[in-house]
Amino acid sequence: MIVLGQMLAERRRSLVWWSLSIAALAAIVGASYPAVRDVGSQIEQLVRQLPRGVLELMGAGGGIASPAGYLNSRFYSGLFPILLLVFGIMVAAWTVAGAEREGTLEPLLANPVSRTRVALERFAGTAVLLAVLTSAGTAVFVVLRGPFELASLGVGRLVAAGVGVFLLAMVFTALTFATGAATGNKGAAIAAGAGTAAATYLVFALAAFVEFFRNLRWLSPWDWFLSPSPLTGGWTAWAVWPPLLVVAAAVAVGTALFARRDLR
Amino acid sequence: MAEAPLIEIRQLTKRFGALTAVDSLDLTVRAGEIYGLLGPNGAGKSTTIRTLMGFVRPTAGHAGLLGGTAHDLALRARVGYVGGDGVLDRGLRAGELLRWYGDLRGGIDPARVAGLCERLGLDPGRRIGQLSSGNRQKVAIVQAFMHDPDVLVLDEPTSGLDPLLQRSVLELVRERRDAGAAVLFSSHLLPEVEDVADRVGILRTGRLVREDTIVNLREIARHRLELRFATDLPPGLLDGVDGVASVEVDGRTAQLVVDGSVAELVRRVAGYGVERIVSHDDDLEDIFFTYYQTAEGERP
Repeated sequence: MIVLGQMLAERRRSLVWWSLSIAALAAIVGASYPAVRDVGSQIEQLVRQLPRGVLELMGAGGGIASPAGYLNSRFYSGLFPILLLVFGIMVAAWTVAGAEREGTLEPLLANPVSRTRVALERFAGTAVLLAVLTSAGTAVFVVLRGPFELASLGVGRLVAAGVGVFLLAMVFTALTFATGAATGNKGAAIAAGAGTAAATYLVFALAAFVEFFRNLRWLSPWDWFLSPSPLTGGWTAWAVWPPLLVVAAAVAVGTALFARRDLR
Repeated sequence: MAEAPLIEIRQLTKRFGALTAVDSLDLTVRAGEIYGLLGPNGAGKSTTIRTLMGFVRPTAGHAGLLGGTAHDLALRARVGYVGGDGVLDRGLRAGELLRWYGDLRGGIDPARVAGLCERLGLDPGRRIGQLSSGNRQKVAIVQAFMHDPDVLVLDEPTSGLDPLLQRSVLELVRERRDAGAAVLFSSHLLPEVEDVADRVGILRTGRLVREDTIVNLREIARHRLELRFATDLPPGLLDGVDGVASVEVDGRTAQLVVDGSVAELVRRVAGYGVERIVSHDDDLEDIFFTYYQTAEGERP
């Protein structure tokens, strides 16, 4: 675990800043809940007149005045996963392709350490960093449920949502990692991760309105995570198993190709 | 009976798309030998070395070391490598990188690392990104030598170093050679290879055009010299000197091209008040002129 340990040590400082930022955002969103709820009943009536698709797009299928509906629409269906996947894609693009481009991968591989080990330890390192960030956001709600008047939301639901959003971000992180490992091209790696995230979000967002996308929504990791949201529905198999499968397959293929190809 | 070579490259070919970077290369380095791989940029030195290190795969042939290849981690553990571009993690302090690499090698005696740093004048507390290119190169040298490797693969290891440090590095290389290591040393500078190598191979567009001992290569090396005299030259002084291919005299200055030894020339001008001898032989294509000529007589 020497490569993993080194990676975490090097990213300690940036991890602290990212964690603090995400925790601060979560705190702001959480602290605003009582005010939103107070005017919520009027908004709720307004909102209910919107088409169902719009509500789902807002992540507000369960209303926006309930704790679950509010957190889902304000945090878990947009801001939180996007921050996580931006971080995940950034780090994953560096693990192999970025390091190769900056020229630090070759000297590392002159040591008696296999490419497979470097790739897997660095992917594991990315997962650890992402897990810390997810925990930072989740912990704010768990600890401050009382003051934020979110107490009706069980800790179990928050943990389920945390795991779900982590796995959602991991899907795009793994695709970035795998593309970078297989090709050594950092630009292609970022494009693969960010592009898939955007495209599958579009499928999810338009599924409520367009028949064509409705038939594809089962392909979208956003759909796996958000319909229904673990905040309202608790643990779902869709939020856990499909992302795990995609991550495992992408990492296996990317690492295997990396072990065989020429370094650039 | 001769021992099996520690570095063995047989019929190595490496193509990148339509480009053939290395073409049917045969090269061996024995224990206790320094092999200088000479060639201008783009001749295929780095590709040869990167194939030997397992970073790229041969299109055909074999690039092996220590009886296997660098893909075998137990063998790679006995290899020291300095890459051509000398890029190391900029955010790390030199000492942190050396400790990390040492851990990957199962731990290195800190006193050994400290000794090498001191010998090269490297401050391990500085961040690599803030070091000059010469100091960065020192970090690369230290990590390559700290585990006393049996095989050293050095791609232009002295680039960016001042002459004094160049000499320290060549000294380290010789010490490893004397301890029985095989050293493959690439360079585009003849004087440095001349200094240290036991045998030299000259690479041109991926092919080994000549391989010989340094003594024999000196015989054919071409020098460009400028001699400055205290007084105007007597006419005809430089005519018909052995080895002098061409002479141009301009007042007190003579521009000469000499193939092989300059002994005869020096004998001839002795007593005529030579104030200064300037050598311009740093361009390999110039020195090994005959090998870099194409059939049409043009530079490739």
